[in-house]
Amino acid sequence: MSAKILIIGIGNRFRGDDALGCVLADQIKTLEAPGVEVLTHSGEPASLIDLWQSRDCVILVDAVSSLALAGTVHYIDLHEHGLPDQFRSYSTHAFGIAEAIELARVLEKLPPKIVFYGIEGKSFAATETLSPEIILAMEDTKKRIEQDIKETSHA
Amino acid sequence: MSEDDQTGSGKTKRGETKPGETKPGETGPGETGPDETKPGKTKTIKVDYLARVEGEGAMFLKIHGGKLEDVKLKIFEPPRFFEGLLRGRKFSEAPDITARICGICPVAYQMSAVHAMENAFGVTVDGPLRDLRRLLYCGEWIASHTLHIYMLHAPDFLGYASAVHMAKDFPKEVERGLQLKKTGGEIMAFVGGREIHPVNVRVGGFYKVPTKREMFDLQAKIEKARDAARETVNWVATFDFPEFEQDYTFVSMQHPDEYPMNEGRVVSNKGLDIDASDYDDYFEEIHVEHSNALHCVMKENKQSYHVGPMARYALNFDRLPAEIQTLAKKVGLGKVCNNPFKSILVRSIEVLYACEEALRIIENYEMPDQPFVEMQVKAASGYAVTEAPRGILYHRYEVDEKGDILDADIIPPTSQNQKMIEDDLWKLVPQYLDQSDDVLQWHAEQAIRNYDPCISCATHFLKLDVERT
Repeated sequence: MSAKILIIGIGNRFRGDDALGCVLADQIKTLEAPGVEVLTHSGEPASLIDLWQSRDCVILVDAVSSLALAGTVHYIDLHEHGLPDQFRSYSTHAFGIAEAIELARVLEKLPPKIVFYGIEGKSFAATETLSPEIILAMEDTKKRIEQDIKETSHA
Repeated sequence: MSEDDQTGSGKTKRGETKPGETKPGETGPGETGPDETKPGKTKTIKVDYLARVEGEGAMFLKIHGGKLEDVKLKIFEPPRFFEGLLRGRKFSEAPDITARICGICPVAYQMSAVHAMENAFGVTVDGPLRDLRRLLYCGEWIASHTLHIYMLHAPDFLGYASAVHMAKDFPKEVERGLQLKKTGGEIMAFVGGREIHPVNVRVGGFYKVPTKREMFDLQAKIEKARDAARETVNWVATFDFPEFEQDYTFVSMQHPDEYPMNEGRVVSNKGLDIDASDYDDYFEEIHVEHSNALHCVMKENKQSYHVGPMARYALNFDRLPAEIQTLAKKVGLGKVCNNPFKSILVRSIEVLYACEEALRIIENYEMPDQPFVEMQVKAASGYAVTEAPRGILYHRYEVDEKGDILDADIIPPTSQNQKMIEDDLWKLVPQYLDQSDDVLQWHAEQAIRNYDPCISCATHFLKLDVERT
């Protein structure tokens, strides 16, 4: 049976701050919280939508580039809002996470709770190093996700 | 963007989309100049960001005095210098480095790279290893074609701004497309280790090969996918296709016994029949000011040529299984399809073929004793052409006696089709000059998407020469 809470880190581990989703997922995985599954994912829409089924709560974590200050944490309840325009330009591919969310909404396949943590990246250069601002923001985001897990587990 | 904006207000029918009001990620913002119906007036239609194509490109049409004066498919995604990156790297790194050129068709780059290196070292990979490569390619064809059919191109035919808009009225079909694409990805992950930029491919074969038993789960999924693929053909056949028959020079691979993927000669419907090693003698790349991707032409006449599903189909119809040939005829395709708007139908036939072929390979598969063929490295040049989902993909490498890459040349299908797309627009746009800009723009964008252009692939290869003194 699938864990009721699913946390998905999205990103490229070799492109600077774009790795933050994957790194944060690694960190949360070490908590070994019961009823929680933690994955990293390429963003392929069909498998992403499949993974959301039978879950109470899905938390997506990704780097964003929207001209905000590096390390800014954007929290979006995806039942209330879609991903904003400025978060869509990070991929040159025509079909990605934003489209997966919107397709799932239309097809009524969004889980009861689905939220997005987007952390404003600073550098997306070809390195495996995260910017200091991002490391701080990730610590804050990790605490918020731990709180989300607690609230959902006790709901 | 508000939720309403994203999930849409339902259909955006042809002619209803106002230029400049469309949304990024759906249809590109357009600009129009003064009315061209007045004699001597010039009008331009610019789509600054083409939606529903892979990568970043733009379209420019100039109409003067009611006549089309200029057409440009602009590819402004920056060049990525992959050929420069390859110089000095080991021959064994080529499949992994070139896979990074594209997240949609990484297998094509890996396959052309390994075949070119094996050609350089005089090695032939056959038996189950050859079949596994073909199985991997089937996965990529299914995933890539299905993405284009359902998510990028079908909305054009059904009058929607995007697949998200289309999903409201066609939920069953969109779900079918998602599942079919997913199965393609699962084949890639099964053989290649992961779906995007597979890691299990090496020169000479694979790092690890599956057992026969491990294939059972996959087999069941592909059987379902085959049904979905058949339904896709019948669904796409109901679309309304604009009349636009052209006299194309089709270029694809041709193999004596099979529908081409990895091996064969490069042939055309106008008499070309060459080995991959002769590619540079017959095709030429030309730099044009408005594109970061080189245009390709036939050397003999400097004319465009057409690569991709329609070319493969036209030159290899008799290599398709009889059942698929019958279905193709039933849905109105002849042995040759000259209407690029029907490329979506040909693509759906190829998805069905890829499912059938994957099942045939799995059924006959016996695990090989070794996952790869050993080879002796030597100084040599190697050449290969394989059939990427969008058409032939040429790789040429020169390596030294240690196996270090001295030179590389990669010519992807989208750059080969780039001039062809412009040629189509030159012929298509005049048919719609008396219609509104919205309708004109819609048809022109649809015509570009007929080729499923992958701009990210095409821009990797602008030449960069460094002079050191």
